[in-house]
Amino acid sequence: MKRLLRWLVAYFRRSLQARWVAMTVILSGLALTAVGGFLSYSIGDGLFQTRQQQILAESKRAVVEVQNTFNASSSTDTATLQGLMNTVVPNLESKTTNASRAVALLRSPGQNSGTYLQSPVSLGLDTNLVPEDVREKVRKLPTKLIYKSISLPAGHPGLVVGAHIEIPVAGSYELYMVYDLSSAQQTLDFVQRTLVFGGAIMLILIAMVAYYVTANIVNPVRKAAEVSALIAAGNLKPRLQASGDDVVATLGKSFNTMADSMESKIQELSKLSQMQQQFVSDVSHELRTPLTTIKLSAELLQAKRDELSDSAKRNLDKLQTQIERFEALLADLLEISRFDSKSVVGDFELEDLNGVVGVALAHIQPLADAKGTVLEVDIPAGPVNAEFDPRRIERVLRNLLSNAIEHGEGRPIRVTVGQNDSAVAVTVADNGVGMSQAQVARVFDRFWRADPARKRTTGGTGLGLAIAQADTQLHKGWLQLVSEEGKGTTFRLTLPRRQMNVFTQSPLPLRRLES
Amino acid sequence: MKKVLVIEDEIDMNESIVELLEQAGFEAAGVLEGGLALSKFNSMQPDLVLLDVQLPGLSGFEIAQKIRQTHGTPIIMLTARSDSDDIVRGLEAGADDYVTKPFQWNVLEARIKARLRDTRTSNTEKIVLGPIVIDVPGHEVRKDGERIQLTPLEFKLLVTLAASPGEVFSREDLLVKVWEYQFRADDKFKPDTRLVNVHVQRLRSKIELDPDDPQFVLTERGIGYKAGTN
Repeated sequence: MKRLLRWLVAYFRRSLQARWVAMTVILSGLALTAVGGFLSYSIGDGLFQTRQQQILAESKRAVVEVQNTFNASSSTDTATLQGLMNTVVPNLESKTTNASRAVALLRSPGQNSGTYLQSPVSLGLDTNLVPEDVREKVRKLPTKLIYKSISLPAGHPGLVVGAHIEIPVAGSYELYMVYDLSSAQQTLDFVQRTLVFGGAIMLILIAMVAYYVTANIVNPVRKAAEVSALIAAGNLKPRLQASGDDVVATLGKSFNTMADSMESKIQELSKLSQMQQQFVSDVSHELRTPLTTIKLSAELLQAKRDELSDSAKRNLDKLQTQIERFEALLADLLEISRFDSKSVVGDFELEDLNGVVGVALAHIQPLADAKGTVLEVDIPAGPVNAEFDPRRIERVLRNLLSNAIEHGEGRPIRVTVGQNDSAVAVTVADNGVGMSQAQVARVFDRFWRADPARKRTTGGTGLGLAIAQADTQLHKGWLQLVSEEGKGTTFRLTLPRRQMNVFTQSPLPLRRLES
Repeated sequence: MKKVLVIEDEIDMNESIVELLEQAGFEAAGVLEGGLALSKFNSMQPDLVLLDVQLPGLSGFEIAQKIRQTHGTPIIMLTARSDSDDIVRGLEAGADDYVTKPFQWNVLEARIKARLRDTRTSNTEKIVLGPIVIDVPGHEVRKDGERIQLTPLEFKLLVTLAASPGEVFSREDLLVKVWEYQFRADDKFKPDTRLVNVHVQRLRSKIELDPDDPQFVLTERGIGYKAGTN
């Protein structure tokens, strides 16, 4: 039951059409109830009014007739009068099932004079049904016909009509006629039943019409929602059907126009970006041959180093250094262009992360020594096995380490390795210059440098972190950092244990190193 | 003095390589055009060829193919595109090894020397592998008594595998032993093992009855290669 309710709520929340149909049915139901109530009331009122007038006319005739009967009688004999009186009830009463009339001729109370005659009453009529106020009015207004609606014992509606009758010798009497109005009630019941039934059918028809009408409006909207969801998901091909000139067709047409222009813009952009990537790749390749020639020439000069002047030697050294930088830059550019064209495939192996960290540390040690930086290492005793491309991860680590050394102000750098069930991680933390929030936001941008004026000693290409991030993404891992200006930076690399694994938490906390 | 032919259309680079080769104690000559390469090869009869793949006239692939039809002379390709199909095409055309531009001169020098070194590294005189008999000092392979022509590299590959039958060599092992590659800890990327795959395939096509169902040079899935013991 609860589930059904929940399902219903969810259904209404989801379906615009269901809400509209429900709303229409509820509002029409209210309107129909109001109209039906009014109809039922006025029909009932009309029915009773008519019946009442009829009854009053009948009653008036009856009263006049009865009074005349007594007036015409000149007899003063009690027995004759009683006999006359006894004829009144059978004469007036009617036993038709639906329009019965019961009669009572009662002596007005409080009379001392006159002969007491027995009051005739229709069989089965309870004289208490005649309300006391009616009897009082009859006595007070002897010339008037007094009536009142009452409720009969069977629950039928009734009308009591009373009038004053003066019986010679006997004195004041009151004639009461009690009418059963159930035939009018039955007619009213029938009318009401018909109204309710008709109303119900009307409501069902309205619901169906509402369903049909809303379907005609909602379906195109639903279609538009589906198609725009597809487009949002990256499939630019689907379009809406748009025929006609109505508002739905206009919606469809403008939607399609929008989708067309979006598709062509996206294609244009992707073509442009492809061209750009191709250009970077071509440039990098084209530069390789001249660079090789330059390198070989420098090599030849190097062989004749002894014959050179001191100035020429210095220039040769500069040439050599710059060639190396050029080469590194070219290699990084090419690597980035490979990532951009999505042609990079990881060479995943099950490896011990500790070992890779060790290799990276060994490689960076000379640089650390040159800067007088101490490398503190905290690695788990056992192996930290995970599935990754060891060469790429080592490259990422070397990059993080050389950055830490360059910006570490010679203070110790802490390298920590950690693992949990689903992931492995390395943090590289320094106590160096650190970065502001604005700088942190740009740290993975290509060729971006935290401080362009800062002296470069390690000769990075400016693409290192961009490549590190791309490598991390290739592993479905995280590369994150925290940094505070003047206090230092911590980078954390987290990788899944297995490439198909999804992890939600890094085994190591991401926090700055406290000095 | 070993003779090296340099086929490279970039005139400055060609000159530099020739000069560096001469400094290293080789007799070297350069050719700038693909069309002239073969006649120079025939007149010079070099011990090794350095071949650029992107050449005007005759392409590097065609030159390698033509040389291979008659000679086992070691060929080292020079290429500017490390990630294209050029490398596999060149290797399939008959090149023994390749270096990508911009290369380190000492790397190229080491590769040249490795290719020119005497292949008689094994101290065994004669290796028998079923119907295949390898005469190591004589540089000769016979199968069912019939002589099979192998390039020095293919010969070295076969001797390396056959010298310890059943032992599995990884592709990296073979790059070290046969190609004499030296891996450094800071090598950014895995050495290109396509080199091994292509040459194993070429070797099989020469010694196996059915190269698709090899009997002598077997693949050990996921690890490398070994010589069949039967």
